[in-house]
Amino acid sequence: MSTQATSQPGHSADVVVHGLSRWYGNVVAVNDISFTIGTGITGLLGPNGAGKSTVLHTLSGFLKPSAGTVEVLGEPAWRNPSLYRSLGLVADGEAVYPFQTGREFVLLNARLHGLRDAVQAADRAIAVVGMQEAQDRKTGGYSKGMKQRIKIAAAIVHEPQVLLLDEPFSGTDPTQRLHMMNSLEAMAKQGKTILFSSHVLEEVERLSDNVLVIINGRLAASGDFHAIRKLMIDRPHQFTIRSADNRRLASALMAEPAVSGVELAGDAISVRTQEFAAFTVAAPKVARAQNIRLLELLPTDESLESVFAYLVKR
Amino acid sequence: MIWIIFRLTLSELMGRRRLALVVLLALLPALVALAYRLGNQHDDPPQWTADTLLDGVIVTILLPLTALIFGTSALGSEIEDGTIIHLLSKPIPRIEIVVAKLGAASLLTALCVVPSAALSGFIAISGSSEQGIVTGFLIGTLLGTVAYSALFVLLSAMTNRALFIGLAYVFVWEGIVTQLFSGTRYLSVHQCCLGVAGLFSTASEKTFSPDLGGTEALIILAITVVGSVVLAVRSLNSFQVGQSS
Repeated sequence: MSTQATSQPGHSADVVVHGLSRWYGNVVAVNDISFTIGTGITGLLGPNGAGKSTVLHTLSGFLKPSAGTVEVLGEPAWRNPSLYRSLGLVADGEAVYPFQTGREFVLLNARLHGLRDAVQAADRAIAVVGMQEAQDRKTGGYSKGMKQRIKIAAAIVHEPQVLLLDEPFSGTDPTQRLHMMNSLEAMAKQGKTILFSSHVLEEVERLSDNVLVIINGRLAASGDFHAIRKLMIDRPHQFTIRSADNRRLASALMAEPAVSGVELAGDAISVRTQEFAAFTVAAPKVARAQNIRLLELLPTDESLESVFAYLVKR
Repeated sequence: MIWIIFRLTLSELMGRRRLALVVLLALLPALVALAYRLGNQHDDPPQWTADTLLDGVIVTILLPLTALIFGTSALGSEIEDGTIIHLLSKPIPRIEIVVAKLGAASLLTALCVVPSAALSGFIAISGSSEQGIVTGFLIGTLLGTVAYSALFVLLSAMTNRALFIGLAYVFVWEGIVTQLFSGTRYLSVHQCCLGVAGLFSTASEKTFSPDLGGTEALIILAITVVGSVVLAVRSLNSFQVGQSS
């Protein structure tokens, strides 16, 4: 049975993926996933190696699906160069022509699209990503973040309806990231469909209301980001506590409604809870009420991978 | 669109190190010819020019090596570093990309090889009545430039081991196999170059007599160029990111 999802920021579905699988020999990179995406910004979230780039490459026509169908704006993505009139792609990596200036690179892309006023289009795209000051420098001397921005300018120079970005914020500093995020938000407000991949939860949270979570090639969750975020927060959490009197504190904590289990483990207490926030407020209060000195209160296994693993199990 | 990609490819191919290597290679035949003229043994300059210089050095070594360097880089280096995505993610017919790449590789190869053949040939044969041999070789080399470039552009579109396979084709197939089995000469760009040189040369048969007829050679070269372009276009149409072969 396929993993189905609908991520619908806007009204129409510009991207329709049905039963998509992609494998390399015996390795399954993407396994039977289905989703639709409309206008607005959608985040493709998952740990490294989850299959995000494979999904983006099949959507952009640079990978042939092993099974299933991929349609962008009602047309198949595979072997359909005319689709690039309405599709922009920012691939992962730093590949730009190092002998060109940023402006030459964007202008080249505008001309390859056959734009009537390529110069004006290039100027506009460079302004969107805020690269006017560095546009006349060779891209070979750009930082990773600058390369990312000039690649985005090149990808939006023809004002595509659908924009696909693979890890667009990697290597960017906070100021660059904020500028790029604002630019993408502005494009989304103009009715564009934007899908970007990231393994950083905060990036997705900041930028997109809708999210596709992909783990081990499967679609683990999709839809409204806040609902998924709540799922992540409401999952079982584990804390390690060290105090002046572990045994007495453990007894007191067992009476707390937020606590679902307590265990003495060596010189520490292991506490399980379903309510992360409530427990972090309650634990110090209990210790103070019992007049026990808290030495350490640590959430264990809060890595993004463990959050993803929990979503998969569900 | 072809013109834009052609100029882009020229800029890519004219990296300092690559150009320096090719220019050094291109100067060698002239030095060899000069050494020959300055030496004392001048039994049969037209024969030596045809067999040793123009065939043995220019068509056997300089032409395929230069075409290999430019032909495999024109498309292969873009596939390798990922910049090919910028061309393929445009609504451009793939044949325009292949033709532009082939044009750039052929032009640079020709600019290095043809003047080198002309200069060294005329140095070696100066004073002889059989200077038409050089003209024949210049036309053969020029057409061979396009055929070799097409073959190597195709190789780089199909595999990331284009340089290795190209070297094997030049030195093993053309250097050994076609010398041992005469039937394989139809599958050799080198033999076709000699055939074309023979067709346009005014030299006597005693001085230069290729194994392949001129018309046959022209047809095979045309098939090589058209076939390579068609297959390279097919390969680009099915291009997949991260595909290794």
